[in-house]
Amino acid sequence: MASEEEINLLVIVVDVNPIWWGQQAQRATELTLSKCLDAVMVLGNSHMAMSRTNKLSVIASHFEDSHFLYPGKSWRMGDSCGDDASSSGDGKYELLAVANNLIAEEIRKVMSKTEVRGNSTDTLLAGTLAKALCYINRVSKEFEVGQEIKSRILVIKAAEDCARQYMNFMNVIFAAQKQNILIDACVLDSDSGLLQQACDITGGLYLKIPQKVALAQYLLWVFLPDSEQRSQLVLPPPAHVDYRAACFCHRNLIEIGYVCSVCLSIFCNFSPICTTCETAFKIQLPQMVKPKKKKLKQPT
Amino acid sequence: MHLIQTMAALSEEVLLVVKKVRQRKQDGTLYLMAERIAWGPEGKDRFTVSHLYADTRCQKISPDGKAKIQLQLVLHTGESTTFHFSNDSSALKDRDAAKELLQQLLPKFKKKANKELEEKNRMLQEDPVLFQLYKDLVVSQVISADEFWANRLGDTNHADPSLSNNKQEVGISGAFLADIRPQTDGCNGLRYNLTADIIESIFRTYPTVKEKYCENVPHNLTEKEFWTRFFQSHYFHRDRINTGTQDIFSECAKQDEQGLKSMVVQGVKNPLVDLLSLEDKTLDEGYGVCTTLPSTSNSNRSVKESSNSAIIKRFNHHSAMVLAAGSRKGETPANQASETSNTDGNSRDSVFFQPPVKKVKLKEAIEYEDLQRENRPKTVALNLKKSDRYAHGPVPLQSQQYTTSQDIINSVNYIQHEMVNYKPNLTQVLSSTTASSAIAALSSGGVLMQAATQQAINQMVPSEVQGELKHLYAAAGELLRHFWSCFPVNTPFMEEKVTKMKSNLERFQMTKLCPFQEKIQRQYLSTNLTGHLEEMLQTAYSKFHIWQTRRMLRKT
Repeated sequence: MASEEEINLLVIVVDVNPIWWGQQAQRATELTLSKCLDAVMVLGNSHMAMSRTNKLSVIASHFEDSHFLYPGKSWRMGDSCGDDASSSGDGKYELLAVANNLIAEEIRKVMSKTEVRGNSTDTLLAGTLAKALCYINRVSKEFEVGQEIKSRILVIKAAEDCARQYMNFMNVIFAAQKQNILIDACVLDSDSGLLQQACDITGGLYLKIPQKVALAQYLLWVFLPDSEQRSQLVLPPPAHVDYRAACFCHRNLIEIGYVCSVCLSIFCNFSPICTTCETAFKIQLPQMVKPKKKKLKQPT
Repeated sequence: MHLIQTMAALSEEVLLVVKKVRQRKQDGTLYLMAERIAWGPEGKDRFTVSHLYADTRCQKISPDGKAKIQLQLVLHTGESTTFHFSNDSSALKDRDAAKELLQQLLPKFKKKANKELEEKNRMLQEDPVLFQLYKDLVVSQVISADEFWANRLGDTNHADPSLSNNKQEVGISGAFLADIRPQTDGCNGLRYNLTADIIESIFRTYPTVKEKYCENVPHNLTEKEFWTRFFQSHYFHRDRINTGTQDIFSECAKQDEQGLKSMVVQGVKNPLVDLLSLEDKTLDEGYGVCTTLPSTSNSNRSVKESSNSAIIKRFNHHSAMVLAAGSRKGETPANQASETSNTDGNSRDSVFFQPPVKKVKLKEAIEYEDLQRENRPKTVALNLKKSDRYAHGPVPLQSQQYTTSQDIINSVNYIQHEMVNYKPNLTQVLSSTTASSAIAALSSGGVLMQAATQQAINQMVPSEVQGELKHLYAAAGELLRHFWSCFPVNTPFMEEKVTKMKSNLERFQMTKLCPFQEKIQRQYLSTNLTGHLEEMLQTAYSKFHIWQTRRMLRKT
């Protein structure tokens, strides 16, 4: 029999790009990757503590691959493999203790396995989001038919956007929108246009944190409540999203431009042949006024 | 409009001349001509008053008992001119003569002028936005009515008049005769309630009755008498026993019989419908059987059978007439004689229509539209040369921050070093000072909440102000459209128009926009509601200024 309570699944996608975090650490800023992960754990624990039916998943986004920090592949409920580590002795809810330990273990593994191969240094965010969507899909199918499951994704972004991932990113966003999955974004450093669009389209919250060190507080205040509870709270208003298109010739953001009616490519200047699909266009020029012959006045 | 014409230059036929007619306390003569009515003062050979019949809406006369015998002409524009017939002996006769003539002439010219006005009224009634625009611009005299209608009425004058009658014609109810519902009025009489609709239905269905009506009313019979006779006659009643020719409707009955016979002779045009195969087929006794076959000779017919067949004939005829009247479009009495419809009994040329109708019916039955081969228009294949352009988002090419490979290696090593001994320290995640500063930023008035405190404009501005603003935008838009459509200025007409439009815009700004601005300022609304409107008007003014200076330069 399907239980009456709604299941809330929170997937936290953490950007653990070692280059960015390494640079941060070298500059001796207050927020280190350890502190960031601590904050994520606090959020995860709080989420699971809110209700017994809440579920959590944490995925680390790297420049090599995306790695599930929690739940682990071989982890089953009641597994005694982590017994000595899990009994933390402070009477913590066992699930939280297990989760924390697992996350810590996995991130240590991920970081130690990191190898610099030199071809790409960008975080594979689009891929990680795709994995998150697949995970959500799998989890939804595992429950009974009548069971309602509400999912959302929280992205904690550190490094800059990668322009090459644009197409994949947009596909992920639209897929999430279709599945009614919210994408929230908590941005640590530079604004990300892609995530702004993602939040706008799926109905999530986008926040760029002014104080990185208070990350935990922002996470708990803004991102812990789910979408129903958010309607009752006063949260930061949505930011204005720049939806301007970029012209195909110069990649400038334009407000008014020319669009080829055959292939829909956007140009900032008129050209008689569309360079993408090679269609010829005619445009009516305003009629040329014949210059009147000016009568030269004789100076008197 | 008063045209001043010399009488000598008249080329119109003069129908009536009435002397001693005063207009505005001046003696003169009234002339009724073929297309206009005119009046000239005594002794002068010019007309000071002249009105076309087309411009006249109606005429009015002073009541009979009054001392002054007057005739008033009311024009479409609302103006009126009064003529006082002051001939001592024949004033009344003159006035009546003039009135009769006008009564005959005015209807001829009436239709032309009215149609345009009706069209305008209809457009204003149907479209509230247009009506509001009209009120804002014409009634407050920002632009003249002519300019307002210039663009809008242009098409309808050339359009097919049948297209402008978008309304469907109302059909005839088959039960209109039954709807009359006679009631007993207590003392052995019957009351028939006739409405105009029923009368119209009767006329449309039975053209012969209409003919009789036109012949007899109002010369021989009053309307009431006509209808009384109609209901009394056997033509109306169930049993049509032709009792003699005193009844004016006996002719109608005969014509109906003939019509019915010719209808039967024609048969049905649809080759797929075979009416003759429909017969009462008897199976056995009790299954609708009739033991003796009905014979067609009149002598063997029982009274009941003949009355049955008579009423069936009446029903069939009535239904056929109703259908025929419905398919006849409009009142065209002249055409009824030569009508080619083959559903009523009076058509003659229906034989010519046989082959095409049959063909059409057969074709309809054997062909199905969906099963035909599709004729899609030919399309051109899409040929993309550089499809990778679509993969770029609106992320402009930015100069990336280049990190040297050494930097990268250093960073990675550093972080690996940091995370090798990572242990979550969840009790030391946040200090209370950082937490409270974060909370302050997130509370109302905080750094992150600035945008939330701004209320939406539409919640702050009252709805009448919003409504007024919308009307202002509609009116300004209309004026600006007229203004901008004048460019490029090619003809002197355009020059004139552009100058006029500019003055219209200025007048609009003064009479409508400025009072509105003052009003909202008085209400302490700090939002700038009219900024955009002013910007649009300023752009128009500067364009006009540029055009004007260029024109002056060209002239010099």
